[in-house]
Amino acid sequence: MASLGKVLCGTFFTNTSLRVLGRYPMCTARRYLSQSKIVNNLNLQTCRVPVTVMRHYSIKPPMTIEQIKKRVLLVLQLYDKVNPDKLTLESHFINDLGLDSLDHVEVIMAIEDEFGFEIPDEDAEKLHKPKDIVQYVCDREDIYD
Amino acid sequence: MAAGRQRVIDLYKTLLYMGRDYPQGYDFFRSRLKKAFQRNRDISDPEQIKMLVKRGEFVVKEIEALYMLKKYRTLKQRYSTEKDQS
Repeated sequence: MASLGKVLCGTFFTNTSLRVLGRYPMCTARRYLSQSKIVNNLNLQTCRVPVTVMRHYSIKPPMTIEQIKKRVLLVLQLYDKVNPDKLTLESHFINDLGLDSLDHVEVIMAIEDEFGFEIPDEDAEKLHKPKDIVQYVCDREDIYD
Repeated sequence: MAAGRQRVIDLYKTLLYMGRDYPQGYDFFRSRLKKAFQRNRDISDPEQIKMLVKRGEFVVKEIEALYMLKKYRTLKQRYSTEKDQS
């Protein structure tokens, strides 16, 4: 069997497949022999040993809309000028909660800190309700339900 | 007018970020900043707004300088002996 392998190496295989053959047990070599026509292809495939390197550079735990809603509301409750009793997803910051535009900027900054990304001023202007913020964060994090 | 509003909000945001490391604390800085902005809330003259925004930008520079100075002093203190400080 060993001599057979040697013959194979000499006749059919390129340098790369030689390396592969050396690493694999003889039984695989025998299988290759029976399919000697496609043997080169096969060996090229076995060369590509799947290397699964797991990288978690910026991985975050998956979020759901419910979680985002909770986090947004929590941030707003902790903000000192918001009355937690009046706060719902539908309440308007300026009309219902009695914040002014400066408070609105602070709210947006608190949201930025909570979710770890920056909200440009143009977008921040359009976020009038907690619901809008939830929607914006969902869009940003690619969560659609 | 809309552009003026944008600039004021931008300035406010910048100043809030700057205030995070303020020596007397963030809350101190925030309440003062808010009062300073609210004092001028009724101003609608574009020229005057422009002037005030300029002043705000100057304040940003001042705070930056304050932090640099603080950093410099801290470093100097660490690298020098007690005698040199007097």
